[in-house]
Amino acid sequence: MKRLLGVGLDLLRLIGVALGITVVVFFLVRTVPGDVVDVFAIAADLTYQDQAALRADLGLDRSWIDQFSLWSRMALSGDFGVSTRFNRPVTEMIAIALWPTLKLAGASFAIGLTLGVFLAVLAALYPRSIAGWLVDVVTIWSIALPTFSVGLCAVILFALWLGWMPAIGATLAPAIVLGIDTAGTLVKMLHEDLKEMESALWVRTARAKGLSRPIIVLRHILPNAASVLLAMTGIVLGGLVGGAITMEVVFGLPGVGSLTLQAMKGRDYPLIQAIILMLALGVVLANFVTDLIQRLIDPRAGGGRG
Amino acid sequence: MSDLLRRLSPRDWSRREKVGGWIAAAALLAALIGPSLSWHDPYAQDFLAMAEAPSAEHWLGTDEIGQDVLARLLLGCRLSLLIGLGASMVALVLGGCLGLAAVACGGVVEYLLFAAVDLIRAMPGVLFALAMVVALEPGTASVIIALGVSFAPIFARIVEAAYRREVAQGYVAAARCFGAGPLRTAFRHILPNILGALITQGAIVLPRCIVSESVLSFLGLGVSPDTPTWGRMIALAATSLEETPWAALAPIVALSLLTFALSMLGDACRRAFDPLRRGVLA
Repeated sequence: MKRLLGVGLDLLRLIGVALGITVVVFFLVRTVPGDVVDVFAIAADLTYQDQAALRADLGLDRSWIDQFSLWSRMALSGDFGVSTRFNRPVTEMIAIALWPTLKLAGASFAIGLTLGVFLAVLAALYPRSIAGWLVDVVTIWSIALPTFSVGLCAVILFALWLGWMPAIGATLAPAIVLGIDTAGTLVKMLHEDLKEMESALWVRTARAKGLSRPIIVLRHILPNAASVLLAMTGIVLGGLVGGAITMEVVFGLPGVGSLTLQAMKGRDYPLIQAIILMLALGVVLANFVTDLIQRLIDPRAGGGRG
Repeated sequence: MSDLLRRLSPRDWSRREKVGGWIAAAALLAALIGPSLSWHDPYAQDFLAMAEAPSAEHWLGTDEIGQDVLARLLLGCRLSLLIGLGASMVALVLGGCLGLAAVACGGVVEYLLFAAVDLIRAMPGVLFALAMVVALEPGTASVIIALGVSFAPIFARIVEAAYRREVAQGYVAAARCFGAGPLRTAFRHILPNILGALITQGAIVLPRCIVSESVLSFLGLGVSPDTPTWGRMIALAATSLEETPWAALAPIVALSLLTFALSMLGDACRRAFDPLRRGVLA
């Protein structure tokens, strides 16, 4: 019962964090010189009267506190307002943009997890084989090659020189680039963890019992690495969302990343606020769930902040 | 300290760390004297040589508006190192000092600071830095501050963990017995003992700052548009990949080499400063 209460309190604190970031961003974007009316005024010649009327219409002439109380009251009833730049409901725009991003992040995560675990296990099974070298290659790859530049190289090589895929709109290429990057992060930690366990006493016992190497690695060592893998998952997911933003720009995908960038450049306050709230809640919940699973499978974790 | 320096000696670096060391040294040299050696002005447009492939006159070619890629690359190297070092210093000092003061004070102060830490970490990837740069107006200084603030939580966490480990030590109890307050104990006695962990983390964060800067610039929200950081160069060349692929490839290769080199140095640092810990938090 007490543990349940602790979990509940954790969840409350995390949701508080997500709401906090929304409040911070709400005021942060308003400190920026220039608002959406200025963006309009550059595009179309607006007189000062037009501009003032537009600001009054959008509620931008009111005090920040007024704007905030209005926005939060509407948001609480599920209405995140209308994009000031594109004049469409914000939730609708995000719903459309969410699919390409989820597809990209999901595919990259699947590729990264499979490749990472596969390589790490292979390297643990056959330490002196090509697998160990591959682990090194993938690790250095993910350290040295920022995903957006690899993505651009892929565009140059495959789309322009070889003509294999349309430069814009393909999901697989960015997913592979992000996936290899993810695999590199995962494999580095997992490989070190597996290597460390090789010298543990219980592994020596298992070896003394005469168990074969594959059995030791797959049945004894790998389950013990599960919690490390899970802890990494939280970190990797955050990185994936960040990586997806740049990949969408490189490959011209109409996802949440492209939308965020457009919203920030266009000073589209309602859109920025809704996206940030959604992303923060997503990251916070993902962390909460990984934390929860970790406590369930590993009795040593628990208590203490994450 | 001399002991630490001896442990950092390149004699027991692995081969790839030595390669990284040489690349980093070359980059440092290029950043210091490169821009004054190059005979082309990085901003000047040569209208007779627009989008020209690498030649004897322009070693790495020119971009689509006739600027010499090599000259811009060298100036960009200086900017990348400057922003990277600046941002990781800001992160180290900000996160380290505030984190240490907060855990030493405890109570409400600690709770509030680590709530802020969680706030920043709830923003995925470069998003927090993105929002901050927008708020501060694009420019070199705002990029340094924005990246510094968004990487500061890592240092606050490191300090928190190290403080909890150190506070149980005898020397802390001794200092307390002599009447040192919590802040004095933390900064005069504990800080020197956890400085190694902080500096190591600084070395690990440095290449990440440089990559983040290029991502921000690539997205068009970093330094001002005409500043030739590598991210800006890549972003500009990305619009004309077919005509001038070399203008994109040069900064991409340079960025990868520098990131690799600095990561290797970070690894060497980590091994030298605390050989027992596997490190890499967050």
